[in-house]
Amino acid sequence: MILSGLSLRNFRTHKNVTLNFSKELNYIVGGNGQGKTSLLEAAYYLCTTKSFNSKDIESVTFYENEFEIKGIFKDITEDKIRLIFSVPENRKYYFQNDKLISRSSQIIGRFPVVILTPSDHSITQGAPSERRKFIDSVISQASSSYLEVLLDYNKTLKHRAVVLNLLREKKTKQLETELDVWTAQLIAYGLDLINYRQNFLNNFNKYVLDSYHKIVEDKEVPKIEYFYLDGNETHDIKKKFDKLIFDKREEEIRRAINLVGPHKDDFVFTINKINLRTFGSQGQHKTFQTALRFAEFFYLKDTTGKTPIFLLDDVFGELDAYRAGKISNYLKEVGQAFITLTDFADFSFLAKEENDLIIKLDKGNISYA
Amino acid sequence: MQIAEPLLIAIEELSKLPGIGKKTAQRLALYILKTDQDSVDNLVKAISDLKTKLHFCTRCFNLAEDDLCDICKSTKRDTTKICVVEEASDVMAIEKTNEYNGLYHVLGGVLSPLSGVTAHDLKIKELLLRFDKENISEVILALNPDTEGETTSLYLARLIKPLNIKVTRIARGIPIGGDLEFADEATIGRAMLNRIDL
Ligand SMILES: [Zn+2]
Repeated sequence: MILSGLSLRNFRTHKNVTLNFSKELNYIVGGNGQGKTSLLEAAYYLCTTKSFNSKDIESVTFYENEFEIKGIFKDITEDKIRLIFSVPENRKYYFQNDKLISRSSQIIGRFPVVILTPSDHSITQGAPSERRKFIDSVISQASSSYLEVLLDYNKTLKHRAVVLNLLREKKTKQLETELDVWTAQLIAYGLDLINYRQNFLNNFNKYVLDSYHKIVEDKEVPKIEYFYLDGNETHDIKKKFDKLIFDKREEEIRRAINLVGPHKDDFVFTINKINLRTFGSQGQHKTFQTALRFAEFFYLKDTTGKTPIFLLDDVFGELDAYRAGKISNYLKEVGQAFITLTDFADFSFLAKEENDLIIKLDKGNISYA
Repeated sequence: MQIAEPLLIAIEELSKLPGIGKKTAQRLALYILKTDQDSVDNLVKAISDLKTKLHFCTRCFNLAEDDLCDICKSTKRDTTKICVVEEASDVMAIEKTNEYNGLYHVLGGVLSPLSGVTAHDLKIKELLLRFDKENISEVILALNPDTEGETTSLYLARLIKPLNIKVTRIARGIPIGGDLEFADEATIGRAMLNRIDL
């Protein structure tokens, strides 16, 4: 699947532009503030309905009321996508071939996308929520039923927190029963999520290993380990879930928060069984983050049967020449990619091929090379 | 641009209706302004009559012109079954299928603590009272298959099952995330036939 073109209106610095892309590598070159990253952001919007780094309103050009992104995805079929965000309505409209689509689970995964950005450091170095966000976004693109369960689970958490809070203020038989049914619901959805995540990692770890070895040729073995509920292995997950949530009930009411469930899960990255977060070098972190995104790419390609588009935001600036060269070579194996560069001249290791395109952005002017 | 006060008020009121944004409200207000006086009077009367002539049935909370709705008044219904729905519009949707001949009970919503709806905001107490007065042997839960609907079904099942009344839930023929009132009749009809025990 490729994104053959993009039209932007009132999208950040882009008042009105139309671009055509190569079906292979697209290098987007320009100085700071020329709107390189916003092109990746626009592509990401069309695939996911969201930005990868900001709120919708921040993407609207100053003094304007809405932004509009149009794009054409070509696969066996051709899909015209149009997304509008309206400031006064604080609402997004997503059209596929002029048909309004309102459920995100009908959109996400249809045009799979992978993005590698400098902020990926938070996946291996940040809080557990960053890792859950990463894992959730990969599985959600591969499985719309996972996304449905995840949305239901998150909604259940919010409802349940309100009931906990009401119970803290006043204990009634009716509210106790209401808590029971929200708990039953949380456990049901929660078990589904744990099950999905386990199966996913069993499969995904192979992709991580493979990608890691493409970037560094050595014997290091990367792995993602999954920690759910209290972190200990168990054959009867439901029984443990029931017990943990039963034991925490009073504390949950006292604090009016959900303390047990997959919203507390963590994923631990290891290299040769050693915890990356505590003992990894900067280089190992960087390699791991990059390997995760390539693994995501090939995983989505295999599971969805569609080649994702690959977005790389300002990635090469931070890498040593050896890794940069490796990644540049690895990129030849993906399909269509969009790569932002601050200054093309500095990147001699990038072997531009015939079908690759250089798109230069300069004060609103676009030129191709 | 300065908008005249009456127009502003009309837009404000119209945009309170579900599914009507500011833009649509403005279009409607301007349309009404251009319409002849008779049509406007008819519209005002229709809206006003809706509120004064229609009530909620005192037994099942379906729409009714009298104390009881047509279904509760009918002698041809199976009075041992109650089908529990969210809104009166769901009664109409199920009636159209001709697959169900029992009574109804309209909850007036589903559990949704986040929107401030807990059990005592729904007609649940009234439902339980009906079991004392009427001879009910089966309760069919026909709530939307979303998180809130499912949780409400679970809640009702917990209250009703100890009373030795059979509790079933309509099968999931309804598209997930689809609202019941928009599901086609055949789907609801099938779901009504394939109900399952809770
Ligand atoms: Zn009635």
